[in-house]
Amino acid sequence: MDFISATFIGFVIILSCIYFIVPDKVKWCVLLAGSYIFYMASSVKALCFLIITTIVTFVCGRILGNINDGQKKYLEEHKGELNREQKKEIKARTSKKKKRIVALAVLINLGLLIFLKYFNFIGGNINSLLAHFGVNGQVPHLSLLLPLGISFYTLQSIAYIVDLYRGKYAADRNFFKFSLFMSFFPQIVQGPIARYDHLAHQLYEPHKFEYNRVTQGAQLILWGFMKKLILADRLAVAVNLVFDNPDSYQGFILFFAAAGYGLQVYADFSGGMDIARGVAQILGIDLALNFERPYFACSISEFWRRWHITLGGWMRDYIFYPLSLSKAFANLGKRTRKIFGNYVGKKLPTFLSMFIVFLLVGVWHGSSWKYVAYGVWNGVIIVSSILLDPYYEKFLKKCRIDTECFSWKFFQMMRTFVLCSFGRFFSRGISCMTAVNMIKRTITHPNPWVFFDGSFLQLGLDYKDFYVIFAFIIVLLVVGIMQERGVHIREKIAEQNLYFRWLLYIGAVVIVLIYGSYGPGYNAGEFIYQQF
Amino acid sequence: MKEELMSILTDLRPDVDFENEEKLIDDGVLDSFDIVSLVSELNSEFDIEINVMDLEPENFNTVEAMLELIVKMQEE
Repeated sequence: MDFISATFIGFVIILSCIYFIVPDKVKWCVLLAGSYIFYMASSVKALCFLIITTIVTFVCGRILGNINDGQKKYLEEHKGELNREQKKEIKARTSKKKKRIVALAVLINLGLLIFLKYFNFIGGNINSLLAHFGVNGQVPHLSLLLPLGISFYTLQSIAYIVDLYRGKYAADRNFFKFSLFMSFFPQIVQGPIARYDHLAHQLYEPHKFEYNRVTQGAQLILWGFMKKLILADRLAVAVNLVFDNPDSYQGFILFFAAAGYGLQVYADFSGGMDIARGVAQILGIDLALNFERPYFACSISEFWRRWHITLGGWMRDYIFYPLSLSKAFANLGKRTRKIFGNYVGKKLPTFLSMFIVFLLVGVWHGSSWKYVAYGVWNGVIIVSSILLDPYYEKFLKKCRIDTECFSWKFFQMMRTFVLCSFGRFFSRGISCMTAVNMIKRTITHPNPWVFFDGSFLQLGLDYKDFYVIFAFIIVLLVVGIMQERGVHIREKIAEQNLYFRWLLYIGAVVIVLIYGSYGPGYNAGEFIYQQF
Repeated sequence: MKEELMSILTDLRPDVDFENEEKLIDDGVLDSFDIVSLVSELNSEFDIEINVMDLEPENFNTVEAMLELIVKMQEE
């Protein structure tokens, strides 16, 4: 069932009505039934993978919870008898037990994801390597099904297991309620990647009908529809044409396609998030924020703090911190300190962890070397910007550049936009080599005349489309500036009188109907990130 | 203890007013790079073992919260 469909709108309306009518006790059951109906309507075959991950995570979670409870009880009972060393020993022993359970859960859940998503990629590379050495061994190519949302719910399950290992909260004791946490329909398609302590209790608690939440949720859904149908799907036409025929274009057309793809992904993904968050809001549930105006970022690292926030947060808490604070990385830092000095020794564990995080972020996007290159591109920029920062600061001081004025901030934003756009060649290009060639042809063939000779009108869009794109970007910009200044737009709308509000709603629906991209050549139903 | 902590913090980020900031993590004043450097410094300075489990925003949002964490770690 696609988000952008009359079926989905009907489904949300019916589910919401049932949810608000039924007694409080069974409200969560309505959400569970609705979530499974939604998943089955999208993919019945893939359901078994979701169920396997749910069962494994729940059972391992219960075991971890029992170990935590046992340790807590024992320490309380023997409070006065144990010294610091003995307490440490007990904790180390239980930690060892817990690690085995975590390893089992991660192995099964991540194993499923890796097998389904990366088997053919790994097999293909092994085959190429073997052929290189003249060996005829063949890893078979399997036609594997990639379950809807597997990359999202697997990360969610790992976060739950690791949090239980860390003793952050108690394990869930109700399998069916836990199944709802793992499958909640607005977020299963493309996130946000939820944390148990933030989402689960909201799902289990009953919520009453609240007029304000319903209207604000509906506004968010409408805003998501606008981003997806007016901007993302329109830009996709030109972007697809250029990326499918990269040798036919050069210079600014290629840059336009890369930058356009960046905007397309933003409108597509954040639009999908708006729809998911809007639906959840109607039901009384607040999903985590996944985007915070990323194109207002002044550096690549800030961009990643504003883009796909829940993935960044997951990577920070479950990869970056554990790696950079691990004993192995600390020892590596000490050893390199002796060879390269204090500064490098201190920074190396952090840089290495950051680099691994970006490699994983790249690979998470898909099973291809181009995604590895995408991760490397971002990792190299961030690490080198931190390494070069002291020299950069000196340079700015020497040149007496005022870093607080608007023009400097604007320059930083544009610089980040350009760097991000070049990175998009990797994530959207057909292959890594194609991406490199496209970057080369963008830089070495500057062709500013394409802005005046009608070249852009040969990209599948007419001048009206470009007006619509331009106008919507202005709207996005104005909304973004207002949000940056702390204005709560939907609350402001709620303060207006009834006639104005309804005029605005009807106007927005009419705009979506008139200026949305429909018909042959458009694929309104699909979101880019739902294939991940 | 507070003086030593303040010295570590101001060395790490001279641009931040640590005395008056109350949401160092929630407002993104300190990023993950700062936290890793800070934890390494605190561990070696106060002979404690702050680990990943303790990296919660409420432990690092204010100087007072950090002091509480250090004391708790020393007692453990």
